[in-house]
Amino acid sequence: MKITTWLKNIFTEHSTLFILITPLIIIALVTDLLDDTLTERIVITMFINLILVLGLQLFMGNGGTLNFAHIGFMGIGAYASVIFSMTPQAKSIGLPDLYPIFNPIQLPFLMALLLGGLIAAFCAAIISFPLMRLSDAAAVITSFALLVIIHVVLVHWDNITAGPQTLFGVDRYTDLWMSVIWGIGFIILAYWFKESSIGLKLRASRDDRYAAATIGINMVIVRWVAFTLSAFMAGIAGGLWAHFITSFSPKAFYLTETFVILAMLVVGGPGGVSGAVVGTLIVSIVREGLRTIESAINIGQLLPSTLVGFAEVFLAIALIVILIFRPGGIMGGREIRWLKKRPLSQKNEDGTNTTIS
Amino acid sequence: MPPSIQTTNTATLIVQDINKVFFGLRALENVSLRLQKGEILGLIGPNGSGKTTLINVITGLLPLTSGKIYINSTNLSSAKPYQIARAGIARTYQTIRLFKELTVKENIEVAAVSIGSSRKEARHQADAIIQEFGLEAWVHYLASALPYGLERRVEIARALAMKPLFLLLDEPAAGLNEEEAEELLHILELIPDNKKLGMLIVEHDMHLIMRLCDRLHVLNYGKTIGEGTPEQVRRIPAVVEAYLGSTARGD
Ligand SMILES: Nc1ncnc2c1ncn2[C@@H]1O[C@H](COP(=O)(O)OP(=O)(O)OP(=O)(O)O)[C@@H](O)[C@H]1O
Ligand SMILES: [Mg+2]
Repeated sequence: MKITTWLKNIFTEHSTLFILITPLIIIALVTDLLDDTLTERIVITMFINLILVLGLQLFMGNGGTLNFAHIGFMGIGAYASVIFSMTPQAKSIGLPDLYPIFNPIQLPFLMALLLGGLIAAFCAAIISFPLMRLSDAAAVITSFALLVIIHVVLVHWDNITAGPQTLFGVDRYTDLWMSVIWGIGFIILAYWFKESSIGLKLRASRDDRYAAATIGINMVIVRWVAFTLSAFMAGIAGGLWAHFITSFSPKAFYLTETFVILAMLVVGGPGGVSGAVVGTLIVSIVREGLRTIESAINIGQLLPSTLVGFAEVFLAIALIVILIFRPGGIMGGREIRWLKKRPLSQKNEDGTNTTIS
Repeated sequence: MPPSIQTTNTATLIVQDINKVFFGLRALENVSLRLQKGEILGLIGPNGSGKTTLINVITGLLPLTSGKIYINSTNLSSAKPYQIARAGIARTYQTIRLFKELTVKENIEVAAVSIGSSRKEARHQADAIIQEFGLEAWVHYLASALPYGLERRVEIARALAMKPLFLLLDEPAAGLNEEEAEELLHILELIPDNKKLGMLIVEHDMHLIMRLCDRLHVLNYGKTIGEGTPEQVRRIPAVVEAYLGSTARGD
C-alpha cells in the first residue's frame, strides 16, 4: 500500500526526480559498458561536479545569496577525508608534517568520506553564522573573502595539508558507481530540501526578507542550516574527488573550480534542482567538446601558436550571454515535470479573461 | 493551533507611549493604544501622519525610540520581527509584499509552517484558508502572476494562516475598485469573530472605515488627535480640522 502510493508519487507528484535521475543512470550504464578510461574519467568528474552544483543550488538557489566559498569547503572535505583514509606509511611520505596523533588513524573509506563531509559542515557552521544576516553585495564579498581565507589556510597549515605542494599517495576508492550513487542521492536530498519546511521558509526569505520576518521566519537560522548542509555536500564532493584524482594541491580548490561550478549553476538556473542538473550536464558536455577541439587544433598545429583556455573563455562568454538574455538560467527556476502538472503562467483557469484554447 | 494563546479570552495588544524619531523627524510622539480580541480598531490620519510607522514599530521592523509594546504581560518592545510574529501579531503591507516566486498555496503554507505547523498540517490549514478566500483556482499560480486585487487577498490569507491574535492591515483597500473593495469589506467584517482576533486597519477609504470599525484612533504629525467610536471621533474639532486641512491642501 505504502510502496504503491510512493511509486505513484514518483511518477506524478514527484515526476521531476524520475525525469532527472533516469538519464543520469543511462549515462552511467553506457559509461560502464563502454569501459573507456577517458569517458569514465569525464563522467565521474561530471557527477562530482553535479554534487557541488547541487550543494550550491541548495543554498544559493533557495536562499538567493551568491556563495563564492563553496569550493573552499570542497577543499576542507578533500583534505579531511584523506587524512582519515590514507595508510600511515603513505601519510608519512605524502603528509610529512601531519600532527602525529592523526598518523596512525586509518578508517574505512566511507567513514573517512563522511567525516570529511561532516568536518566541512562543522567549519561552515562555525564560520558562517555571523555572515548569514548579510545580503546582496555584502554577502557576495564576505563569501569571497571566506574562499580566500580557506585557501590561505590550506596552503599554509602544513600540519594538516601538504602545504602548497601536491599531496600524493591517496588511494583510489571513488569509482563510477560511487560517484553516481552520491550524485543521485544528493539530487533527492536537494529536491526534498526545497520542498521541506525549512526549504520553503528559505525560499520565502529569498523573495522578501521583511515579509518573511513578519510571518515568523528566522532567516538567519534558516540560511545557516542551508549553508551548513551545502558545505556538507561540498565536503563529500571533495572527498570523492580526492579519492578519484589521488594527488592534488590547494590550487584545485580555488578560483578555476569556483568559476566552473558557478557557471554550471547559472547556465542551468539556480532556482531549482532541475537547473542544477541540466546546467551540469550541458556545461560538462560543452566543455569536454571544446577541450577535444582545442587539443585537436593544437596537435594538428592548425594555429601558429598553441591554443589555451579556449574552453574557459567560451564558458565565460556563455555565462554572460545567459545572464543577459535569460537571467533565470535555462530552466528559469522551474522544475521539469510531466506536462499537465502545475500551470504557472498568466493564463487563468477559472475562465476570466481567457479566450478559448 | 498554539494552545497557550488561543485559550485565553482576554488577549490585549498594548502600545504604551511610543516615540519614533527618524534623524530628527518625530514620526510618532507619545502614541498609546489598546487593541482587544474581537474588535476592529481603525487607525486613520492624513498622509505622512505615522500610521505605517506605527505598524512597523509594533511588528519590530523598526526599532522603537522609546515606549513599550505588550501582548497581555509579555513585553515585546525589543523583540525581533519573527519573535513578534510568533507571539501572535500578523500584518499586511501598504505596498504588497508577497513571496513572488512561490505559488499562492506556498505563500499561505509557509506562514502556517513558520509558526510551528508541520508541513502536512500546514497543507491542510492552507487548503481551508484557500477555500475561505475563494482562491481555489489560483493555488498553483506564482504570486507574481496574480492580478492586483487578488494579491491583496492572498496577503490577508497568508497573515491569517499564522493564526494570529492580532491582525494589522495597512491600507487593504488601496488600489481596489469599488466592487473589489466591497467584497473585501465583507471578508474583513467576519474575520474578528471567526478568527477570534483583534484587528487594526489603516485606511483612507472613510466609507469602509465607518462601516467596519468599532473604534477609531486618529493620528496627525505623529500625535494622537482623537480616539473613540466613529461618531465621537467625527465630532472632535482637531480631527475635523486635520481632515479639512489636508483636503484643503489638495490631497
Ligand atoms: N524609514 C524611514 N526613514 C525616515 N523617515 C521615514 C521612514 N518611514 C517613514 N518616515 C517618515 O515618517 C513620517 C510618517 O510616515 P508614514 O509612512 O508612517 O506615514 P503614513 O501615515 O503611513 O502615510 P500614508 O498615508 O502616506 O501611508 C513621514 O514623514 C515619513 O516621511
Ligand atoms: Mg502608510
